[in-house]
Amino acid sequence: MKKKKLITSIAVFGASALLLSACSAGSGGDSGGKVTLDFWSWAPNTQELVDVWNEENPDIQVKYTDAGGGKDSSAKLLTASRAGNAPDLAAVEYPTLPSLIVADVALDITDLVGDEVTDAYAEGTLAQTTIDGHVFGLPQDVGPMALVYRSDLLEQWGIPVPTTWAEFATAAEAVRAADPNAYLASLPADQWAFYAGVATQAGAEWWSLDGNEWTVGIADEASLEVADFFQDLVERDVISTEPILTPEWNAKANGGTMLSWPSALWAPGVIEGVAPDTIGKWSMTNFPQWTAGDAAVAFQGGSAVVVTNNSDHPEEAVKFATWLNASEEGANLILTVQNGYPAATSGQEEAKSSEAPKLMPQQSDYYDLAATIASDTIPVVWGPNVNVAESAFTDELNKAINAGTPWRDAFTKVQEIVVADMAKSGFELSNK
Amino acid sequence: MTARVATRPRKRQRMRLAPYIFVAPAVVLFVVFMLVPILYAAWLSFQSYKLEGGGILGTRVQVFAGLDNYISVLSDPALATGFGHLGLYGIIAVPLTLGLALLFALLLDVPAARAKRFSQTAIFIPYAVPGVVAALLWGFMYLPSTSPFSYISRELGWGTIPFLEDPGIFGSIANIAIWGGVGFNMIIIYTSLRGIPDEIYEAARLDGAGELQIALRIKIPLVVPALVLTGIFSLIGALQLYSEPTTLKPMTDVISQTWVPLMTIYRNAFLTDDLPGAAALSVVLAVGTVAVSALVLWLTNRRNKGAQS
Repeated sequence: MKKKKLITSIAVFGASALLLSACSAGSGGDSGGKVTLDFWSWAPNTQELVDVWNEENPDIQVKYTDAGGGKDSSAKLLTASRAGNAPDLAAVEYPTLPSLIVADVALDITDLVGDEVTDAYAEGTLAQTTIDGHVFGLPQDVGPMALVYRSDLLEQWGIPVPTTWAEFATAAEAVRAADPNAYLASLPADQWAFYAGVATQAGAEWWSLDGNEWTVGIADEASLEVADFFQDLVERDVISTEPILTPEWNAKANGGTMLSWPSALWAPGVIEGVAPDTIGKWSMTNFPQWTAGDAAVAFQGGSAVVVTNNSDHPEEAVKFATWLNASEEGANLILTVQNGYPAATSGQEEAKSSEAPKLMPQQSDYYDLAATIASDTIPVVWGPNVNVAESAFTDELNKAINAGTPWRDAFTKVQEIVVADMAKSGFELSNK
Repeated sequence: MTARVATRPRKRQRMRLAPYIFVAPAVVLFVVFMLVPILYAAWLSFQSYKLEGGGILGTRVQVFAGLDNYISVLSDPALATGFGHLGLYGIIAVPLTLGLALLFALLLDVPAARAKRFSQTAIFIPYAVPGVVAALLWGFMYLPSTSPFSYISRELGWGTIPFLEDPGIFGSIANIAIWGGVGFNMIIIYTSLRGIPDEIYEAARLDGAGELQIALRIKIPLVVPALVLTGIFSLIGALQLYSEPTTLKPMTDVISQTWVPLMTIYRNAFLTDDLPGAAALSVVLAVGTVAVSALVLWLTNRRNKGAQS
């Protein structure tokens, strides 16, 4: 009886030890020449694009995972990279690229990209993923800012389509007068990228570089005036500040009480996803300007594909990324399947003869207008701690909105937090 | 008899090994998945990320930083605000959870109660709903355009109920926790009640006590250990509030990223790339939780000892 107990206990211990070792994660396999790459992205229908590549390239197979939207993706990528578990390739938004480089996530692929890459993009486009002459990623799509709005309702109520921000304010007032339940747009505090874009459009430079020295300009006078302008709209209740893309906001977009989304060229695909019954009722036009007659706009979002430092197969990864973003076939798929505005010039050329996105079949000149918008953009320098800035901005501006305190103070507080964080990390700063 | 005595020492020798082998898997799991991560987090809290390498960007590498993280964590005003929110939430959630759990347990223990099985299951089912799912569920019940309660109050002419605004948000989040927690705590208290011998009730009824008096004078004092247990669990749970505010965060703008300490830890660790700072705050929170639990236990023990003497 005692022997049985001893044997039983050893057996139990042995079994649990075996179970534990079986739980350990298996690494991605290469079996005799075939390479498997892990790819994280969030753009709609990416699996279709990956399937096309997998069929054409049996020796380099790509495994795609939807890693959630831009902000979620970047957090997961950072964590996975610090754990040594990052995928071979990942899509990242342009603003977060410098902070990922600083966190040692993105691989320097300058030596791995060939002429086919440098020839595929306009100089300004590739510059968005190039720091100090080193290429860190391949641009996938770009998001020049544009206004997507309910053309049918604005026409019905006789409200002229705004071309400047002053006209936007007037239009917002008219919308509130026409339907007390409706708002022209919602501009919540977590839309950090929107505020960065309009401030850049007004001439502010939230980060700038002089040699190796950074200057943070979130509390530039131009920025603060932008803050004043939107604070006034919110306080007069002509613009909402509810979070966007919630079930609440989607219901309003469907019901005609949320009339526009000032964002970028990728918006139609998103709106079509949440409000498919409103197809045919939206149009796209130029982003409102601060000064009448200006045309330049900034970017909001848009993504590039990076190869991570963790990757065991950087050359194969760059091959896939080149096909996806810089080849004609890839750019065509980005345009037609994902409804994104491709970064590659071949894609943008092809777009001009394409049909409009599914959301606005009635706007036949959509891509001509898109090409014009994309041709006049303001280059932006993103700082190395965009994630800190975004977090601080959302919290401070929400506090200001809820307490009714001046937005200027919120912007100034954000600048202090960003400067302190950069100083703590050890960056050279010209701000004191 | 003599034969058994003679073999006893041999039995003791062989039996010494078996208990340790049986316990070994649990100990190994504890060491690997609890002790080692805790020690690693403590070690990490003394590090920091500093820039290295020249050029415009450089890379952040880990360097020793002493107590810097603890100083910056403890002097951060967001920490005090976070604990303030926890305090407000705790004052609503903990007494209500325990009070309702006690009430339901007492009601179910009354001899004349009907449908006991059904009621027990019905009260316990919300506990089986995972935290995030429950928060999403209630989130839809709170959002102005999808809330049945707001719909009714609008029809009655009273406007929308501000579930997701300050200060209603505290009650809303507390409600989710109470809804989920009452069942579990009720089961614990009810089990404790079932352990009271019937003779005490007979004696009380002979003395002329009614049900209410039995409940107040006999049942509740005898259930105090169970109440202390559930109280400490609820307190620890309140200090670790995370999933409800995080799930409701996209639906409202009154919940910041640092609304409670655990959200600050998440933000530092995974959003702003400050893992050592998050580790320091985790250690502070863990030590604080242990301290509060020890304090509560000490106070109740003192009271118990005082009552006995």
